[in-house]
Amino acid sequence: MYRYLFISLFAITVASPVWAITIHSAGSTTVLPVVSAAAQAYHASHPNVTITVSGGGSGVGIASIVQGTAALGMASREIDEKEKAQLGDGTQVVPIAMDAVAVAVSKAVSLGGVKQLSVEQIADIYRGKINNWKEVGGPDSRILVIDKEASRGTRHVFAEAVLGNAHARAAGASIISGSNNEEQAIISRSNSAIGMLSNAWLNDEVRGIAVVVRGHGVLPSIEHVRDGSYPISRGLHVILAKDAGPEVRDFVAFLLSETGQKIVEKSGYLPVR
Amino acid sequence: MWLNVAMRLSLILASIGLFVMPGFLISASFPFWQEQGLKPLVGAEWFPYEGLFGMLPALVGTLWSVGLALVIAVPMAVAAAIMTSEMAGKKQRNLIRFGMELLSGIPSVVYGLIGLWLLLPWLQSSFNLLSGHSLLAAGILLSLMVLPTIMVMAEDAISGVALEQREAAANLGLDWSDRLFLVLLPQAWPGIRAGILLASGRALGETIAVMLVVGSMDRIPDPLYNLLEPAQTLTSRIGREIGEAAFGSIHFSALIACGFILAIISVILSLVAHTNQRVRV
Repeated sequence: MYRYLFISLFAITVASPVWAITIHSAGSTTVLPVVSAAAQAYHASHPNVTITVSGGGSGVGIASIVQGTAALGMASREIDEKEKAQLGDGTQVVPIAMDAVAVAVSKAVSLGGVKQLSVEQIADIYRGKINNWKEVGGPDSRILVIDKEASRGTRHVFAEAVLGNAHARAAGASIISGSNNEEQAIISRSNSAIGMLSNAWLNDEVRGIAVVVRGHGVLPSIEHVRDGSYPISRGLHVILAKDAGPEVRDFVAFLLSETGQKIVEKSGYLPVR
Repeated sequence: MWLNVAMRLSLILASIGLFVMPGFLISASFPFWQEQGLKPLVGAEWFPYEGLFGMLPALVGTLWSVGLALVIAVPMAVAAAIMTSEMAGKKQRNLIRFGMELLSGIPSVVYGLIGLWLLLPWLQSSFNLLSGHSLLAAGILLSLMVLPTIMVMAEDAISGVALEQREAAANLGLDWSDRLFLVLLPQAWPGIRAGILLASGRALGETIAVMLVVGSMDRIPDPLYNLLEPAQTLTSRIGREIGEAAFGSIHFSALIACGFILAIISVILSLVAHTNQRVRV
């Protein structure tokens, strides 16, 4: 009797990993909504595979693959040479979507008259040369300049496009925020804030303004990412460790499938296929 | 016999922990100290990508926020302790105790969110600030978090003052305030001090709540007593950056060094407290 019990217990313990698989993913909070929605859809059709999703930023996504703490990394920017070397051969960086980094301002600033800014003006705000909204045609209030943690992909893309270098200093910054969520909360609570935020996270309280390119204001939108006219756009990626199992690879294939790309579109990003 | 073995075993385990922790802090931060020397302690610029690891702004921010928390919390906690142990009826005492236990049971992230949604807007509108993120916000939040620790320790210490002492004081005809300041508080001081020490340890190490309200800007307050601008603390730095720093990199080592400095500060605090004790007795 007991022998059978032991045998069956043993069988369950040995066999269960085959049946229940957990895939950990971590990184960019811009990519997170897509992977998280896809994870739910994937779990519905593959009940034995559970995918956990956590944030931290693109830097965390890359570090978690380097250190082997996650099977799937998420990054909202390109991987630089140094990071490629750390990741090693065989690691795959798969683009799953395109996105615009919006220059986001508080509702009051937008209503106060600031509808568009040139790249130079945005750079001057982040360098501390412009401190008041009235200098760029807005209300008379000090600018709350929100910078992001150095590890954030949004920060890299924004600083590269506006300040010329992904790690450029922003002397005019008033505070540092982290995730898209935190950034969104600070901008919506303030009435004089400017920040950098993925296009998909804009709403009535947190408004994207047009960036002036060759005399024309271009609003952050999926269309303007598609036709290449918006100057601060980027690819959203997932990173596969070189020893990633077949389940992880199958999930990435799912992200690139028609259903997966529908989820991308629904999350507010531009599909790559 | 078994009890004896178990006691010895747990003593050994505890002392292993006692050596492993500093050992880890020293060995993991060693590459940083080796490369940078002691220069970062007085450096004001922290830009890991440029090889700059100035810790002074975070150090100043940490000391300010802890100091501020104690300045707010100690008088309130001691007053509450005097109230509950000497003046309040049983019902009131239980109520205050209950409140304190409630305060100490709230997770720190909840304090952080409360700070984010209630404290910051309030500070912003009352001082006409840009965002409210500031050392003052961190100090107020920390004071709430350490209040129960100090209060409970102080209350125990005050109620523990011997009946003989109280009777002697009453027989001398001392009035209530003299009894309080000449007998009760001096007698209870070692216990109160222990509470303050524990509280400052918690305030030093608190990460998430501080991270959400301090602003995480690497600037030394200008002027030095300006508590209304965003600043940085050592814990908020570690919390924001440890995830991206690759294990074994100089950046990672620098963050562990921040933790090492926190540990040294708390060791200094307890040493100071103990030296005082010896002088008094």
